[in-house]
Amino acid sequence: MVPIEYYMVLSAAVFCIGVFGILTRRNALMFLMSVELMLNAANINLVAFSFQNGNLTGQVFSLFTMALAAAEVAVGIGIILVLYRNFDDVDVTKATTMRW
Amino acid sequence: MLQTLQISGTAALAPTLVLGVTALLLLLIDSIDPEESSSALLSGVATLGSLVALAAAGAILVATGGEPQSLFQGQLVVDGMSLFFTFIFTSVTTLVTLASYDYLKEFRYKAEFYTLVMLAATGMTLMASSNSMATAFVSLELASLPSYALVAFLKNNRGSVEAGLKYFLIGALSSAVFVYGISLVYGVTGSLQFDAIASELGNTGEGLVGVLGVGILMIIGGFAFKTASVPFHWWAPEAYEGAPAPVSAFLSSASKAAGFVIAFRVFTVAFPQSTVGVDWVLAFQVLALVTMTLGNFAAATQENVKRMMAYSSIGHAGYVLIALGALTGSANQAFVLGAGMIHLVVYGFMNTGAFLFIALAEYWGVGRTFEDYNGLAKQAPVACVAMTVFLFSLAGLPIGGGFLSKFFLIAAAVEAATIGTYVLAFALVINSALSLFYYSRVVKAMWIEDPVGDFEVGGYPTGLYAAIIVAAVATFLLLPALGLFTNVAVDAAASMIQ
Amino acid sequence: MSNPWIAVGALGLVSVLVPLGMMAASALIRPTVPEQGKTAVYESGEVPTGNTRIRFNIQYYMVALLFVIFDIETVLIFPWTVIYRDAVSQVGLTKALVPMLVFIGVLVVGLVWAWRNGAVRWVQPTTSDRRQTET
Repeated sequence: MVPIEYYMVLSAAVFCIGVFGILTRRNALMFLMSVELMLNAANINLVAFSFQNGNLTGQVFSLFTMALAAAEVAVGIGIILVLYRNFDDVDVTKATTMRW
Repeated sequence: MLQTLQISGTAALAPTLVLGVTALLLLLIDSIDPEESSSALLSGVATLGSLVALAAAGAILVATGGEPQSLFQGQLVVDGMSLFFTFIFTSVTTLVTLASYDYLKEFRYKAEFYTLVMLAATGMTLMASSNSMATAFVSLELASLPSYALVAFLKNNRGSVEAGLKYFLIGALSSAVFVYGISLVYGVTGSLQFDAIASELGNTGEGLVGVLGVGILMIIGGFAFKTASVPFHWWAPEAYEGAPAPVSAFLSSASKAAGFVIAFRVFTVAFPQSTVGVDWVLAFQVLALVTMTLGNFAAATQENVKRMMAYSSIGHAGYVLIALGALTGSANQAFVLGAGMIHLVVYGFMNTGAFLFIALAEYWGVGRTFEDYNGLAKQAPVACVAMTVFLFSLAGLPIGGGFLSKFFLIAAAVEAATIGTYVLAFALVINSALSLFYYSRVVKAMWIEDPVGDFEVGGYPTGLYAAIIVAAVATFLLLPALGLFTNVAVDAAASMIQ
Repeated sequence: MSNPWIAVGALGLVSVLVPLGMMAASALIRPTVPEQGKTAVYESGEVPTGNTRIRFNIQYYMVALLFVIFDIETVLIFPWTVIYRDAVSQVGLTKALVPMLVFIGVLVVGLVWAWRNGAVRWVQPTTSDRRQTET
């Protein structure tokens, strides 16, 4: 059996890739993908811990996370579409009508 | 007696169910004839739904006396705390739906607006009663996702879209951080239910405290987003400035309160200070101090009234964070939490009212800076009296409930009697004094300054006016009547802590 | 016994060496006949026009979004189907079935609203638009 630490390292790596993507990419769609990576890192954790602890709570919760991630993407794509319509770009740093 | 009356099963969730059914009803009404939506009907249904939910919450609170009701095998719990906050959410929702009647008249997608508001309110009431990380996360998302869409509601307005984008980006990031934190806590304790987490924490091995600490920090990050406090605060000025003003009112009052109720429950029930090896009280003390100072200082430098209110709302999040930062071992814990809850009630009315006044100004086409408000009192004295009550109450002058609730917070912090809480109490006094400066700039502009050009207000919209006056009367009455709420709040906090 | 990873490593090595060897051998013995047709994208098919970065019709997004949402909802139905038989025998048909019907009812309300508001109505592009999207 694969030790639980391996899963944690994997999920931490995926999470960090997501964080890196958020910090470096300016494309809103890339940002969305990076957030998805972070959510899936949490899912890896949940399923691995669920296996480790011997209860199904974590696995069921990861299903909820997946559904919510999809809902979040749906709302996000909608917002990115109106962003494109208003600013002719999906660069998140272009939208600066208000002072930061 | 009434106290022993049992409200069994799902009936205890009546406020949540009413709000959810209202949202579906609005969708169905819109489906009948999407092209011709009647503003009065939609606004009426939404307001009625939130009023019924408000009444239901009150009735359940009176009937059960805040006795905890565990539902769905402990996934949800309906107790004094959740009903108290349901009261806040439903009153804010009522004010906002009432005020939106006039604000939305010229927009096409009215039904969608009300549906999203009702869905977000449903999520908030669920947050108040969630008793497990799973329900907490799902309800938090149910409250957040409609809010993103609401902020970007004016889809041809660049400011609104930009605000929606920023709110969404930070929101998505913080919810990912939040769920990762949950997964770490689940790994340590093997459970998602709050009381089960607390009982498992006693058996945690030495090596796992680090993982638990990271998990708790990440969960704090999730709450910091929802309550607009440091470090996830900087979406707030953008989102509140760009969003339609009723939405800003809704988010800054109800959404913030929702973040706090779930934070209160998680940190007192799931991670009680006595069993967790992680000093989260210190973390909250630092966050409270930084948040209130940053919010107030930034507010003092603004030229735009709406943005000033946004920063002041960050400052108020800092005040309420005292309720978590003062939960030291020596404190009277029920009183500390109760003080935070009371401030949120008063804040719900006065802040909603202030943002609705801004909505009124937007409705009239008045500009957004302080100068644009010059001489408004000559045109609309009633609304300006109300706005003055809101602002002075926000600053903590004894004209509205804000005075007493801030006093309670200071008393709670002083009573906890550690160096950290003394600093917090002191910071609250200093910051309130500073806030008086920038709030009174608006009052001065409205009452004393002469209007720049000749300007006629365009009509007196009934719904907006009604909402503003109700909020003003409530803010004013909360000064003498706050005793009523104090007992309920402290009892609710006490029954949750034990 | 030696480390089992040695076998895995050997397999990896072989799986890289075999195709490399094949390519090297064919490069050595085949005749070289340069011809223009070989470099085309579709060697015996159409000649491609334009590049791959074209704008798609916005309506695809709408349908795709609806699909994503309703597709993911099946994830929530899935655990219910797993325990359905046990649940019926334990708590009876009503308690096992009605919550799921309520859930699907909520989804149907959403779908009806989306349908009535024209989310699945396909608007025919005008001719000038069509030329832009199809090239």
